[in-house]
Amino acid sequence: MRRVLLVMCLACVVDPRAASAQSLTAEAAVTGGYSTDDLAAVAAQLRAFGETNGAWRFFGELSWAGRSRDNVESDAFGAAYPYGRRLDVIEAYGEGLFRPGGAIVDVRGGRFRPPFGISSGSDHAYWGFLRAPAIRYAEFLVVSNTFLEHGIDVLAGVPKLTVEAAVGAPADVGDHRRRGGADALVRVQGYAGRFIVGVSHMRTSPVEPAEIAPGRAMFTGIDARWMSGGVQLRGEWVDGRPFDGATSTGWYADVIVHRTEMGPVTAIARIERLDHEALTEAGDEDLSRGTLGARVRVSERLSVTINVLHLSGDPRYRPNALDVAFTWSVRSR
Amino acid sequence: MKANAPLIGALILAVWSAMHGIAAPVRAALSGQVQQSAADLHGTARVRDRAAIDAVVWLDAPNAPPNDDDAPRPVLDQRNLTFIPHVLIVRVGSTVNFPNNDRVFHNVFSYRDGKRFDLGTYPVGALRQVVFDQPGLSRIFCNIHPGMAAFVMTVDTPFFAHADGNGAFTIRHVPAGRYTYHAWRPGATEVNGTWASDSGPLSLVWP
Repeated sequence: MRRVLLVMCLACVVDPRAASAQSLTAEAAVTGGYSTDDLAAVAAQLRAFGETNGAWRFFGELSWAGRSRDNVESDAFGAAYPYGRRLDVIEAYGEGLFRPGGAIVDVRGGRFRPPFGISSGSDHAYWGFLRAPAIRYAEFLVVSNTFLEHGIDVLAGVPKLTVEAAVGAPADVGDHRRRGGADALVRVQGYAGRFIVGVSHMRTSPVEPAEIAPGRAMFTGIDARWMSGGVQLRGEWVDGRPFDGATSTGWYADVIVHRTEMGPVTAIARIERLDHEALTEAGDEDLSRGTLGARVRVSERLSVTINVLHLSGDPRYRPNALDVAFTWSVRSR
Repeated sequence: MKANAPLIGALILAVWSAMHGIAAPVRAALSGQVQQSAADLHGTARVRDRAAIDAVVWLDAPNAPPNDDDAPRPVLDQRNLTFIPHVLIVRVGSTVNFPNNDRVFHNVFSYRDGKRFDLGTYPVGALRQVVFDQPGLSRIFCNIHPGMAAFVMTVDTPFFAHADGNGAFTIRHVPAGRYTYHAWRPGATEVNGTWASDSGPLSLVWP
């Protein structure tokens, strides 16, 4: 599947007429960054997406990323993609979106990110944060951004209230992958004026082998956003058990400021906390972190992101860090 | 009385048509103004020997009558992580609909020139609107998806058109006369000139 997607993406970037779909867009993004965690990273993504003549949509994304050092205790640049120096298919799905009488019915099948909380790669990777929230980092045994599903996802409702259900099997990328088995996820989302609120519940397999992490994993989350005048307040709270005998509770709240007088600058700030308690040898972790940063859209194709972080509660990680990254992207349609 | 019958009949027809909302076109047709003084302007826009897709063309007419209130609102759709159309041309005072027809959230904004706004984040099926109340070019982006970009050209005239995939365009119901025309496409400078209604199709070429 990787080869097929790679050829498809490259063909479309070079010449969009290579595809016979009614509409097709190909996109490439390259990111280079450095962190004072003594780490540099390079990442590239290729995407192809569009719509067939029958109003069915498709989306495919390939990712390659590497860091200058392996086995380093840092989640720098781990916002939405794995850094395993290999080509990974991130998402590859077909989708039908229908609007009967103003309602919304969407059916998605294939390989996709689990729709738990504020979940999509677009939310995390592009807002200006170079690191995922701790509750989205695979090593902390919560709902990782590198979790992927092979399955079916159905969303139904009206714009102000949608219900989503997904069933499938784990198909994760990166170093921390869930065991096989069946997954189920339900999400309800409401939208009214300046508020968007969602509740998600997921039952899945643990990341670690059964000898270390017995039983099943189960998480419940609440997420909310409020927006006004170019200011967005956003937060997510997750509680659950990554395996029998362990609990993980965490949250983050961030503010994203993008007022029109700020031009190409988006300012961001985040506070977060994660408490992980295990009755096994995995041990306990209580981590707190604050992040300040900005993303500057230098041109239509180039953006610069800078983050300053302070972390406490986990001696494995450096308490302070500065991350800087450049992203260059090009689109062909 | 018998001699006034056609006049009375015309008055009844005029009152009836005004009450039933077909006054303007019927009156225009009865008076013969549209047929005699207005015609469609056909033309082509090219970049050297290629069709200039996404080119927009308009004629200066600052004193033209206002648009029909019942005209459909222009739409800049967000679909498949793309703004559709890539270039939209609207008249000053138009309200443009910005629906989100993607499962992911979008955050439409314009900061550089033209109309400045930030619509915030909104989910699938939701709709936001912007009134483009000044002439000029607005560059539209999504703050979540850097690859999404579009242009809204706001013009102070009802006589405008968007070139199709072959570079062809048609400006409807242009009253007879001599006009200054303007043409623009992304990444190029504006082309200006004069066109008269008796001079035939308008051919635009960017070097």
